[in-house]
Amino acid sequence: MLIPHPLLGPRDAQEFTYLGDARLLERPDPAAENAEARFCDYVYLRDNPAGVHRELWFHEHGDRSWLVVTRDTVTHEILGAELAADVKGAGA
Amino acid sequence: MTDLTPITALGTAEAPSVAFGPLTVAEDARLGLASLALRRGADVPEPMGLKLPGPGDCVAGAGVGAFWTGPGQWMLEAPGRAEEDFAAEVARNAPGCSVTEQTDGWAAFDIVSDAGAAPVDALLERLVNLPPASLLPGKATRTVLEHLGVFVIRRAGDRLTVLGMRSAAGSLWHALTVAAKRREDAG
Repeated sequence: MLIPHPLLGPRDAQEFTYLGDARLLERPDPAAENAEARFCDYVYLRDNPAGVHRELWFHEHGDRSWLVVTRDTVTHEILGAELAADVKGAGA
Repeated sequence: MTDLTPITALGTAEAPSVAFGPLTVAEDARLGLASLALRRGADVPEPMGLKLPGPGDCVAGAGVGAFWTGPGQWMLEAPGRAEEDFAAEVARNAPGCSVTEQTDGWAAFDIVSDAGAAPVDALLERLVNLPPASLLPGKATRTVLEHLGVFVIRRAGDRLTVLGMRSAAGSLWHALTVAAKRREDAG
């Protein structure tokens, strides 16, 4: 499986480690009133789609950046990759 | 004072150098290294007049070089200056940046061809799982080589440097020399 690194071009998936759902970037505000319930959802609830999924990959044996990779979990087709720092910075 | 004997990363008194046909694999025990990282929102410095390279690239200046290691991060190289406090000089020339001594963490191996770029390209095919375009002359990248994390720096068509963990210098030397030998045997 090749992951199209936005800075370095196509890289073997062996260079990466996988974390999971990219929604982990959307950490709830701990100061909010319903923080406990939202953190419970944040920690325990994940979608597990058979199809297109956005997920976090870490370029461990590379430039050590976090990527948000869009992958079809049925076919393993990689539809795109962007730097998690850019995604987070854009408030997505 | 205790009389200490300096040794290379491979444990020998002199850095070894072995030829395999047109390729020579040699340890460079004298490469000084320091990493440089930007703090949040900082401007990119030009330490020692060096224009720091973009992703996947390396540059060589006057007695000092640099290659990109990650967003806002570079490794600076000083050939022949492993015994000096190179990191202190980098820190003086890059105020406000985070500079860390790296010389003692890495073992450097140079691979030089006396028959142009083709033997180096053939060796790289055996060593790393990367598209050839990412290892053209002037490129440098971090990747995996025999389960070891390494930096591969293509200084020129006929010159390659591999930096690996110093504690695994023997394993990396084995990987490089076996691959060079097999390339030679395969003609």
